[in-house]
Amino acid sequence: MFNKTYITRVNQNEQISGFQKVLLSVSSAFTALIDPSRQDMVATLGETTGTIFLERIRDKMLQDKIGRRILREQPIVNSQTIDLNYLRQLPKTTFGRAYVAFLDKYQVTPDSRTKVRYIDDPELAYVMRRFREAHDFFHTLTNLPTTVEGELALKWFELAQTGLPVSLLSSLFGHLRLTSKERNHLFDIYVPWAVQCGSSSKLLMNVYFEEYFEKDIDGMRRELGIYLIDDLKK
Amino acid sequence: MSSLALTLKKHVALRTNFRYSRKLSKTLATLSSNTEIFSAQKQPKQQQEKLSPFLNIKEALENVYDVIIVGGGITGLALANALATCHKTKLQKIALIESSNFSHIRGWKNDHDNANERYSNRVSSITPGSVRFLKEIGVWQKLDHTRVKPYQYMVVWDGVSDAQIFFDSEIISRSLSSLPFFLRQLDKKKDADDSDSIAWIIENSNIQHGLLSNLDHLQNKNHGKISIFDNKKVERIVSENNNDTRAHEFFDLSEWPIVELDDGQKLRARLLIGADGINSPVRSFANIETLGWDYNSHAVVATLNIDSTTHDNVNNTAWQRFLPTGPIAMLPLHSRVSSMVWSTTPQLAVKIRQMPPDQFVELVNGAFRLGIADLNYLYKIIENSSGTSDYDIGDEMRWRESVNTNKASSPVPPRVVGVQEKSRASFPLRMRNAECYVKNRVVLIGDAAHVIHPLAGQGLNQGIADVECLARVIERGVINGQDIGDVNSIQEYASKRYIKNLMMIGAVDKLHKLFSTDLTPIVWMRSLGLRMVNGLEPVKAEIMKFAMGMEHQSTD
Repeated sequence: MFNKTYITRVNQNEQISGFQKVLLSVSSAFTALIDPSRQDMVATLGETTGTIFLERIRDKMLQDKIGRRILREQPIVNSQTIDLNYLRQLPKTTFGRAYVAFLDKYQVTPDSRTKVRYIDDPELAYVMRRFREAHDFFHTLTNLPTTVEGELALKWFELAQTGLPVSLLSSLFGHLRLTSKERNHLFDIYVPWAVQCGSSSKLLMNVYFEEYFEKDIDGMRRELGIYLIDDLKK
Repeated sequence: MSSLALTLKKHVALRTNFRYSRKLSKTLATLSSNTEIFSAQKQPKQQQEKLSPFLNIKEALENVYDVIIVGGGITGLALANALATCHKTKLQKIALIESSNFSHIRGWKNDHDNANERYSNRVSSITPGSVRFLKEIGVWQKLDHTRVKPYQYMVVWDGVSDAQIFFDSEIISRSLSSLPFFLRQLDKKKDADDSDSIAWIIENSNIQHGLLSNLDHLQNKNHGKISIFDNKKVERIVSENNNDTRAHEFFDLSEWPIVELDDGQKLRARLLIGADGINSPVRSFANIETLGWDYNSHAVVATLNIDSTTHDNVNNTAWQRFLPTGPIAMLPLHSRVSSMVWSTTPQLAVKIRQMPPDQFVELVNGAFRLGIADLNYLYKIIENSSGTSDYDIGDEMRWRESVNTNKASSPVPPRVVGVQEKSRASFPLRMRNAECYVKNRVVLIGDAAHVIHPLAGQGLNQGIADVECLARVIERGVINGQDIGDVNSIQEYASKRYIKNLMMIGAVDKLHKLFSTDLTPIVWMRSLGLRMVNGLEPVKAEIMKFAMGMEHQSTD
């Protein structure tokens, strides 16, 4: 069982002026483009440009019963709140087991997400944080790898679901660093799937993932309207 | 006496000719009041013979009126008052027909219980223009002023963007000041009089009571020239009826419409006035079509108990928030009581009316404070509930308000703490305008002529302005000896009121449509407009004057 450690308010953030925000968004965009592995630059880009769109996601969450519960309880995903050892012991078909398998395979931990720094409104700051922390859950559900292609496909998926500009920018410019073979693969298969699946499935921000750990993952996918690409079906 | 009879005989074949009708109406006036002249016992036999056509005429004209007002609502009563007050028109023979019993209104003062602070849920905002007219006809003084609430401020804001416009009655006095623009702050009002208010919130029954008691009072003074037919329904209205042979012997009144009541009485009118509401039978009789549409909205009204301690125990502001489903307004009635008018979808209106009172109170507070996304969620759970409360709006409210405490908050109305029982009701909203207000011998006033969305509080005031204009037109007609039923005499009313009403209805309709959406570009545009107007005091002053009925008054 995961540990329900709730934090009612995300810590207050650094205040920066409008001009500084613009400067930061432009510079982080360049850096993220040149080196997509700089997650912190992608994160900064997201924060400086995304307030209006965060409000949109927050409003969508407010109109859903589970989304509201998430906003109210503000669950946090990190290695303290999630008992990874317990998840490893769950049956293979469960979501929890698949999640741990994903973490182990790509050697990532739930603590590796960048902190939210530039968003003033505590509720919106939480929405951004949840968005980042749930990223690994998205990977688990869609079975996308953490390669550049996989990440870009997931960004397109997020764009279809949320309309976040950071997803848009990454989607539009991220592929410029790929080889042409990789790019073709991306646009022939991954992107059409991402757009279709993303727009027809339930908004994943409204899913209380922590409560699905013991549930069957295929059943969960069906419930949320997510189907896998042929390539990625095991 | 005989010369009088001879004169009348001369005019036996009477057409609707203005030269003769002036004399006739004067004669009729004296006829109906001076009954002693014709008591047959006093006259010698031969004169009695000569008088008999005279008596017959009087009998024949017993049910013939100069003016018949169909409808005893505020507009109809106001017109009766105006005609009865005016020096020139008070000799006209007037009838007022109303289907409900006036005894309820006459007994209004004894009905309500002031101590419990209970107010009717049908209230109206009366503008300074209407107040001026009510003072002129002596009705304002007859209202129960302990139940009249003036207000000096109005706050209107956009529910999506929080863009706000703030109206203050001092803006008007500043704009009328003779000082130059930059010194106007120094122009202090000498004493606080009534003209300091934007408008007054008055229960409709208070106004009706004042109008009726003034009418009763005038009726005694004018020797019963105003006949009130209350508790009588209009069965039908016909014209071209030659069955009334008695009058037909002397005059050709075939053009004059006949109003048939449910007790068999048949009243004939020189001028028939339709003050009988949106489904006016008078209007259908005259074959006048109405143009317009139904808004997919119902207005829910309620009487609310409020906590004004957060506003210095003073409740002198009207509040209106535009939500995408429709505006919600809170109008002050008393320092601890306000009236609510909430225009919303028909499905929601039903649920809101039927909700448990404590949930309703939380919802109203939320409607003035929460974001649109929150309200959409609340609407969903209310609509999907089965009646008993399986939701807790109070809980949602407390959570959302705790989250929003660090937001810069715009002014909000006082908190609602209770709702008066049985005060929740709803009615459908429509926009209507008759294709013409005047036809031969028929005039429409008030709701029979035009129906408007309540968001600007204009409907009743338009009706009162109609009454004022029509009373003046009729007065002029009587002074000039015209046949006031002839369309040429009353056309001036239509030409004055039609355009004005159309403009007001159109403007309010556009406002309603502008604020019914939450599409981002439109929200942005209208918020920009609101903020700009809020900063431009001269523009605000003009808008206020338009809505307060204080524009240039015609002096004829």
